[in-house]
Amino acid sequence: MGSALLGPLASDAQAEPATVELPFANGKRLLATYPEKRPLIVLTSRPPQLETPFEVFNHGLITPNDAFFVRYHHSAIPTSIDGDKHIINISGSACAKPFQLTVAQLRSQFKPIEYLAVNQCSGNSRGHFNPRVTGGQLSNGAMGNARWVGVPLKDVLARAEIKDSARQVVFNGLDFPIFGGGDFVKSLNVQHAMDGEVMLAYEMNGTDIPMLNGYPVKLIVPGYYGTYWIKHLSDIEVVENDFEGFWMKPAYRIPDNDCACVEPGKAPTATKPIERFTVRSFITSHKNGDQLRAGRGVAVRGIAFDGGQGIREVAFSIDGGQSWQPAKLGKDLGRYSFREFTFNFTPAKGEHDLRTRAWTRSGQSQPLEASWQPAGYMRHVVESVAVSAV
Amino acid sequence: MNTKKFSLIFIVLMIGFMGSVQARTKTIELPPDGISLKPSTLPGYEKALTNCVACHSAEYMQYQPPTAARPYWENMVKRMKQVFKAPIEESDIPVIVEYLVKVYGNEKTD
Repeated sequence: MGSALLGPLASDAQAEPATVELPFANGKRLLATYPEKRPLIVLTSRPPQLETPFEVFNHGLITPNDAFFVRYHHSAIPTSIDGDKHIINISGSACAKPFQLTVAQLRSQFKPIEYLAVNQCSGNSRGHFNPRVTGGQLSNGAMGNARWVGVPLKDVLARAEIKDSARQVVFNGLDFPIFGGGDFVKSLNVQHAMDGEVMLAYEMNGTDIPMLNGYPVKLIVPGYYGTYWIKHLSDIEVVENDFEGFWMKPAYRIPDNDCACVEPGKAPTATKPIERFTVRSFITSHKNGDQLRAGRGVAVRGIAFDGGQGIREVAFSIDGGQSWQPAKLGKDLGRYSFREFTFNFTPAKGEHDLRTRAWTRSGQSQPLEASWQPAGYMRHVVESVAVSAV
Repeated sequence: MNTKKFSLIFIVLMIGFMGSVQARTKTIELPPDGISLKPSTLPGYEKALTNCVACHSAEYMQYQPPTAARPYWENMVKRMKQVFKAPIEESDIPVIVEYLVKVYGNEKTD
């Protein structure tokens, strides 16, 4: 008994905290275990911002709840919530019949839908920007793919009798800023909010949503960056104007041009709110610096995803992008999901720069050279994994 | 959506829920901060202890790229006061900025 009690304490006192080195300057991070989570990369302790270690993406196309990234904006976050009695207020000037709904009612009074969808932080991969930009210095782990079950927002808003004058729907959750200014509130155009896909989810990968991912109800905006996926959803307001709170303007804006990019160091002349994901692909089976056996076949796998067109094609290169061949696509799990790809190659002795490039069904692809923007959002360049064969 | 398949999934889920009826209140306890502000003889260190890490942990400063320049730190401190209403004395702002840019920014001396 004595040793069982002392053991963990003694080892806690002696153990150095686990760390990881992200591949950019000043990239040393601690790993820590937060409630309902396995050890994750700590971007910030308070409020919790946790990044998924990249090897998780090679273990399956669904990101486990305990490995799913966490991103908060305010330190005042809920730590105890009754998942049945939690109330969602539906109101606003363009709402003829404001009402309140508990999560128990949301679960029992509506017909649920489900789909797989990737959630990705706007600033995923920000640490890889060159020149560097300030903000949360993430590597590529602020993304995840989950199966969401919930109720279409459209069906909830139908009960509120939305007026023709409705322009935007505004969303707030239980987290709040300690001194009251700049609450994290986001908005969607009403047509988007009513598309039947935007969902009030109460289930993630077959179980309750982890607290740090938004228990008991989270707004799911498939194909859109995570900034819209409000956690602990508590207020839905239908309004007759464009909502312009701090987190819609000036925060979370991108250059208003085709590439959503500017010359490094320049400020954009006009901006718009960030919206859909750009298309991305990642090799997950291998990482920079891996050593292979020359002349022996290697199976490479990875994931691709985009903002909702679905992946049409993934090409791979083993010579740094000089020549390309088609990779094999895995099963289509839905146009908002990670899509697996695989390819084989037999390395000759020497260095190999592996790259993959995905195309969406409407023909968008990844740039060969990284584009740049001051906020460090939407990185989607063709990534490189340098391996050697001996 | 395949309705039949969906209904089946739904039924399976409902059985799952009935089999594990439990209190639906979820409570968590958050761990302490992983790192602290870097001590300094600059007067802004004490000010940062009361004004900055009272609200958020020190990784926000420590993990910025080595290129983070004075205007960034100044904008951030001003944003904390103006947008988030942090009760920072106007006269403390330059002192805090000085500490941040010299300890975490591109004017780092160590």
